[in-house]
Amino acid sequence: MKNKQSFTEDLSPRQILEIDACTQCGECLKHCPVQDVTGNPAVSPPEKIRMFREFIRASDGLKAKLFGPGEVDRKLLEDFTRAVFECTTCGACGQNCPVGIFTQRLWPMLRKEMVKRGLGPIGIQANLPKAITSSGNPYDKPAADRYRPWFPENAKVADRADVAYYAGCTGSYEAQPMVRGDALVLGAMGEPFTMLPPDEEVCCGFPLFITGQHDLLEDLVKRLVEGYKAKGVRTLVCSCPCCVNIMSRDWPAIYGHELPFTIRHITQFVATAMEQGKLRISKELHERVIYHDPCYLSRGVGVIEEPREVLRRIPGLTLLEFERHGLNSRCCGSGGAARKVFHENAIKMGRLTIDEAVKKKADRLILSCPACYAKVNEAMQEHDKQIRITDIMELISSLI
Amino acid sequence: MGTIVIVAAYGVYAAFWIRFLLHALLWWKAVTRPATIVGPLSPSSVKAWAFSARDVVLFWRLLKVNPALWFGEWLFHVSFLFVIMRHLRYVFLPVPEWVWWFQIPGLIAGYILPLSLLYIFIVRMFSVREKYSTPANMVLLGLLFVISSLGLLMVTLFRTDVVAVKLFTIGILSVTPAAVPGSILFLLHFSLVLILIPLLPTHILTAPLVMLEARKRDLGLPLVMHEE
Repeated sequence: MKNKQSFTEDLSPRQILEIDACTQCGECLKHCPVQDVTGNPAVSPPEKIRMFREFIRASDGLKAKLFGPGEVDRKLLEDFTRAVFECTTCGACGQNCPVGIFTQRLWPMLRKEMVKRGLGPIGIQANLPKAITSSGNPYDKPAADRYRPWFPENAKVADRADVAYYAGCTGSYEAQPMVRGDALVLGAMGEPFTMLPPDEEVCCGFPLFITGQHDLLEDLVKRLVEGYKAKGVRTLVCSCPCCVNIMSRDWPAIYGHELPFTIRHITQFVATAMEQGKLRISKELHERVIYHDPCYLSRGVGVIEEPREVLRRIPGLTLLEFERHGLNSRCCGSGGAARKVFHENAIKMGRLTIDEAVKKKADRLILSCPACYAKVNEAMQEHDKQIRITDIMELISSLI
Repeated sequence: MGTIVIVAAYGVYAAFWIRFLLHALLWWKAVTRPATIVGPLSPSSVKAWAFSARDVVLFWRLLKVNPALWFGEWLFHVSFLFVIMRHLRYVFLPVPEWVWWFQIPGLIAGYILPLSLLYIFIVRMFSVREKYSTPANMVLLGLLFVISSLGLLMVTLFRTDVVAVKLFTIGILSVTPAAVPGSILFLLHFSLVLILIPLLPTHILTAPLVMLEARKRDLGLPLVMHEE
């Protein structure tokens, strides 16, 4: 019966137009990282849209209006579900779409439609609500271990401050050199910053949003916003592009009001501090480094220049660019909560990033996303090409 | 045979509007139900409208991602539009002056149209970078090629009685059907158009709106995390 429900209930008017507007030209396939590693057009963006149109026709077409909604073929629904969850939601397809379909937003909403029908999410993604409810994070790790293993001993956290730092779950549990670097750099600025206690700094909601499981979102967002509000926060700094994305784009809608603070990615905050002379780099680094734009930071919220500004301030450093960078960057494979389910795809995509960095003769690959950091490091294990991988704040903290 | 074609024409006409209305209904239902999480909406601006007008008229986004395909697609759509405008002389009685303006350009477009379709087919089939072509797109391409070639044949080698064609189309539109013109080429041309109409992709109507939203989003992106 669930399969007879309308397939458009959770779609916005714009998304309904977008599904109609796809010309099936296939331009997006040239930019799809999943295509790069699978070569399977069945999981491609136009094919997903074509299948979804069939679902809409079955539930809302003329035949459905006259004789009632038809049952959609279960196999087709399963194929679609796999395709939409195999996607990394990097949004490169939309960026290169001749019509301009906002796919980075469309795919998560189509995932939600499948979740509603009990077809998604896939594999361990289904554990996310339970894990987040019990431990506050999608990895189901103890809240007590959220900061302890990496937080610098000499860094001080104020009880109340204008600036707060949100470490995020992936950084705290899977990319600790990165969040340690964040805390060291924030500490070096000499201005107080605050943080929520480890048991109160819960998931930002992004993994739930991206996997179409929206039930807990409101509770999580309200807890976090109220927590920072109580500490008098006016600027919330975070280094995870996925967290920053949902905070800036969706938290106001979920919270129901304008946020009482501004969201800043750590590279924005540090670039401004450097410009104002609050933070100086004291050491030189004579290396060729290449910077990878995280999809949810560049295409997601338009933070492209600031990481480069920060890197350019390092004396002696030569900054290289990937062929596809900025708004057109190629996903490293860790996006869309697909990395733990479609592990092999993610590893192959990560290796494409490594291979290009090595080909460009870079000494170091600079990342600014904890998911990229965790997966690209994993991809390099047992890979024939090797490069030093460093988070941008990990690097800055070692040079101040 | 004539009756079948006339009945089919009314059927296709009705199906076109039903299809259009069902799409509009779907969209209207989405407009009227409580908003889902859609993220911030980008504000409209003169710049966004101007850029999206360029996107719609010149297929600017396609030009940026695939200039080879853009050339064929733009030629096809423009020549198709001119050919349609030329065909309006069969619909109006009397024919307005502005329709006459399109007669010569429409005739030239009639030569370009099948060539542009052939070019698109070659680009899509033989370019190593093309990975995806749906059977539906190929059917549409083939159908348009045959229809446009038949149309061209009727104005060059096998001239059709345009008065009979006009009486026939006016008859259909005024629900007083007249006899189908005797030309077999016309019968084939018209029948294939009837097959084409239900297959016409709805992106013709929705893509311009999506392009406008995309432009607004592009211009609004720097403002998501930066002050104006």
